[in-house]
Formats: sequence, C-alpha cells, structure tokens
Amino acid sequence: MGIQVQKISKKFGTYTALDHVDLQVPSGELVALLGPSGSGKTTLLRIIAGLETPDAGSIHFDGEETTQRKVRERQVGFVFQHYALFRHMTVFDNIAFGLTVKPKTERPDKARIRRRVNELLQLIQLDNMANRYPAQLSGGQRQRVALARALATEPKVLLLDEPFGALDAKVRQELRRWLRNLHDEIHVTSVFVTHDQEEALEVADRVVVMNQAKIEQVGTPEQVYDHPASPFVFSFLGHVNLFHCRSGDHPAGAIASPTRVEGRSIGYVRPGDIRISRSAATSEDYPAEIVFIQGAGALPRVELRRLDNGETVHADLPREKYRQLGLQIGEKVFIRPTNMRIFVPDYQI
Amino acid sequence: MTTQTLSQPSGALTEPRAVRWLLTGLALAFLALFLLVPLVAVFVQALEKGVETYWAAIIEPDAVAAIRLTLIAAAISVPLNLVFGIAAAWAITKFKFRGKAFLITLLDLPFSVSPVISGFIYVLVFGLQGWLGPWLKAHDLQLIFAVPGIVLATIFVTFPLVARELIPLMQAQGTEEEEAALVLGASGWQIFFRVTLPNVIWGVLYGVILCNARAMGEFGAVSVVSGHIRGLTNTLPLHVEILYNEYNFVAAFAVATLLALLAILTLAAKALLEKKVRQEVKATVKPLGME
Repeated sequence: MGIQVQKISKKFGTYTALDHVDLQVPSGELVALLGPSGSGKTTLLRIIAGLETPDAGSIHFDGEETTQRKVRERQVGFVFQHYALFRHMTVFDNIAFGLTVKPKTERPDKARIRRRVNELLQLIQLDNMANRYPAQLSGGQRQRVALARALATEPKVLLLDEPFGALDAKVRQELRRWLRNLHDEIHVTSVFVTHDQEEALEVADRVVVMNQAKIEQVGTPEQVYDHPASPFVFSFLGHVNLFHCRSGDHPAGAIASPTRVEGRSIGYVRPGDIRISRSAATSEDYPAEIVFIQGAGALPRVELRRLDNGETVHADLPREKYRQLGLQIGEKVFIRPTNMRIFVPDYQI
Repeated sequence: MTTQTLSQPSGALTEPRAVRWLLTGLALAFLALFLLVPLVAVFVQALEKGVETYWAAIIEPDAVAAIRLTLIAAAISVPLNLVFGIAAAWAITKFKFRGKAFLITLLDLPFSVSPVISGFIYVLVFGLQGWLGPWLKAHDLQLIFAVPGIVLATIFVTFPLVARELIPLMQAQGTEEEEAALVLGASGWQIFFRVTLPNVIWGVLYGVILCNARAMGEFGAVSVVSGHIRGLTNTLPLHVEILYNEYNFVAAFAVATLLALLAILTLAAKALLEKKVRQEVKATVKPLGME
C-alpha cells in the first residue's frame, strides 16, 4: 500500500519538527528516512503511524485519507527503537498479542494463532525461544521478536523507528541484511528511520534525506550519493572535501583552479574522488603535502595539506593503489579532484 | 581476585577501622534505642501479668469490636484507594492533559495536612453543626461519630499511598509498551489489563500493604470523627488510647501488640516486595545489544 504525505506540519511548543513536508512512498518499497537527530524524521514516522497528530496536512494510504483514523484501525506495524516488547509475556505471547486482541468476530482460533506465531518464529530464526521472556534475549533477538510481533497481524505498512540503533556494529550489519532479504520476500511497504547514512544506502530502495524539519532530497541510494541536491545532502551522506573557488568560472563538475580560491562558491569532492600522483600531469593538479596516513581499514585514508592555500584534504585510496604508491608522511605529491560538485550558495553562511 | 578485593577493601577505598566501627555502632545504637527497645517494651509490658491476662485483654468484647471496626475500615478504604490510586497513577503517567500538575499537588494534600485537621474538616462539613449537617440529619444519615465517618477519614489519610508508589514506577517504565499495544490494535481496556497492570503488579501490592498499614494504624483523623464510643466507634489505636488513659496498662499494651505485629508483618512483606518492584523497574533499563 502506498503512503502519501501531504503538507504535514508539526510543532512541539515553539520547536518546529516538520514544516510542510510532502512525500510519496510507492507501494511495496523500502524507504529510509535519513537525517541528523532533530530533523523531524521520527516525528514524521509517528505521524504516519498515528502516534502523533499533525498540526496541518494529511496522510493518505492508497489515496484514502487516514489522518483522522484511529491508530488501531490503520493496520500499521511499528517497530520501536528500544523494542518495547511486553516484558511480562513470553516471546510467543508477544508475537501473538496483535492477534489475541482482535475483536471476537475477527480473532483467529487458538490453533491458527499458534500456527501463525510458529511461522513467524521460523522466519526470525528463533523457533526454540518461544517460551523465553524478553529479558532473557540478546538485543538482536529482541529486535527480531519486535519485528515478528509487528508482522503478525499482516500490516499494510511497516514502520521502523531506528530499528538497529541500540545494537552493536556487527549485529546491526547482520540484521540490516536480514531486513533487506525479508523485505524482498514479503514486499510490505516499509519506512524506516535512521541517522546512519551507511544503513540507509545499504538497505533502502529509496532514501529520503531530511534536515531541519524539511525534506532535502528523495532518491535512490545512487542518486542521493552521486548527485546530491544540496551541500547538506553531500556532506551528510559521507565524508567530503571542500574546494573553494569562484562560481562564475566553473560549471558544475569542473575543476577549480588553485589561483581562484578567493571566490564565494564551494566545490565538494568525496575523499574517494581524489587522485594522488607523484608528478603533475596537468595544471589541474595541486601540490600537497602528506600529513597523516591511516593505513588500516578497507580504504586507507590519507590526510594532505594543500601547499597553495593550506586547506586540509582527505583522500581514500583503493588498497592496491595505496600499496603501489608507497606514500610516506611528509612527502610532497600532487592531487586532483576527479569528480567535483559546485553549489552556489544563495545565502551567506 | 575480584572477590578478594571486594571482601577486603584496600586502604585507599575505606576509612580506618576505628572510624568504621564508630559510625556503624552509632547507627545501630540509635536504631536500638529508638526502635528496638520500644518494640520490645510493648511486648514485655503486655505479657507482664502472664499470658492469660494478655489473652483476656484481647478477647474482651470492646477489644473485639475495635478489631472488627478496624478491619471494616481497612476493608472498605484499601480497595477504594487501590482503584483510585491506580486510576490516578495511570492518568498521570500515561497521558498528557491540562491540570496534571494540579492533580499531583492534590494527591499530596493528605500528606501535607495534619490528620487531626483533616478529621476536623470532616466534622465541619458533615457534623451536626456542619454545612451538610442539617441535610444529613433530615435524611437520617449519621456520618460523624459513626462508622461512615471513620471510613471517610481513613480513606482521606491513605489515598496518596497507592498512587505515590505507582507513579515513579510507571514513569520509569514509560509509554512505549502501551504505544506498541495500541498500534497492534488493542483497545484502552486491553492495554490497561494486559500491558500496564501486569507490569506494575508488585508495585500495586506494595502500595496496598503500605495503605493497609496506615489505614489500620491511623489515629489522628479517626480520633476526631469517631467520638470514642466504646464497642461502637473505637478502632484499635483509639482503644489503646482509652485503655491507657484508664491506667489499664497491661490491656493497653496487649492490644498494642496487635498493631506492632501488623507493623512487623508489613515490614516483612515490604522487604519481599521491594525486590520484586526493583525488578519491575530494572526490566525497563535499555539493554545493550549483544548477540
């Protein structure tokens, strides 16, 4: 089921959490709401669920207005950051809860509930833990139970609030991939909130980047990463080097000349788009000195200082290239941005 | 290694032996002098003239009537305060509404008003010369110097106890589980009976125990509204006072042992329940994700 968010605004006292936000979530997609804390992403999720009421605007599920509809009639599944499992119930009873609270006429009989819960326990690979209590489970297991509980009633929309936020790095990685696979299997329209750009890019079909109560950009992970619509999106979705240059002289994607650094516009370059060489091939190569090398990790990172204006530049090199170059701290090299985006600021910061 | 350092604190972490003994000794001496000695004295005095005299004082009709009235007052006020306390704590901790701060202040009123004053207020309102006195008399209802007055006064002085016990517990637990239940389609009553109440059940029991102890032991407010009619409107604490004023010390202390036993039982139940309540709070502490 598709979700249409129209002109939603929400204030908490004087604080604006959402400011005229529009968003379309196509049916069956897995969408990430990505933004720093305080950007309004969780508020938007809670408004879609019905746990908060918007000050203005409307929510439609498949074109049908649901803004005024009661939470329990919306048929959404919600997964909370801290799981919110019922602590006095076993895993089995937690997952069965949504089915057992249905009105008598709609409630499946005991045998069917049991079958459904066992199905879900298999799906989350916790079949042998049905009789445990939440306190006896690890964080990752709790989150999977929370997900199974949300799926038990076959919701039309699945909403997840920082689903992996409270987990450690390794478990988070596993669960992410698991969620992606799960979504490929069941295709329920899903929206999840995260402040982790890596998570959003890895899991989602579509990423919604939010900042200060507004949506900055909506697009596929490639679109938002490779073609960010604003400086905010560029810097939020990964590390970035700033190259100062004059706007008029350089169309987007051009390479800034080191003699024009006094200009107002700023070129944005990802650390992976910096090429390091020992000799200057063209006038676009800037001389720089290596300040620091961090050789461990998937992408060795080199910190350089431009000799022309003293700016610090970070470069990520493929391991092979890094070994081949055999760089040393203090060495003088040439750097060239191979892919740069220039944003002309419409206001002075 | 760890247990060794724990059982034998190093000099860097502790005070000299003499200071430790002095501080611990002072605290124990204080407790003994002000709590233990009086408690023992109650039982010694009560049994001074033998078990038979003790027993006679307890099964004497006026004493039995006092016991019965105390039980009735507690049996009515505790359930009422249980319902009220849970409702108040539920409203205050799980919902946002206007006037919440005012409600919390009202809740503390019985703690801030002297019990004698609260009893006196009931006399002023419901007594013969009070605001509602003539109307009550016209309808042949007697509240003051009768059992209903005693029950009312008991309810008043004990009504914060359950709520006060539950509010911090429910606040610590937050509203996430209720929200989860709501999204899963549960109705208000289903959320209350299947999620909220089971999560605080030990806290509720704890509050009931405290409320019961206070209801049975209340003196001031009840004393004002009771009229001290022997065999009719005397509760246990009032009966003790009357006996004492009549220089019937053995009987007074004999009846007082019942209240002392109630206190000891309450303390024991409290100690047991406190552990359970702590577990209820602890289960909410956000866990670290470990697989």
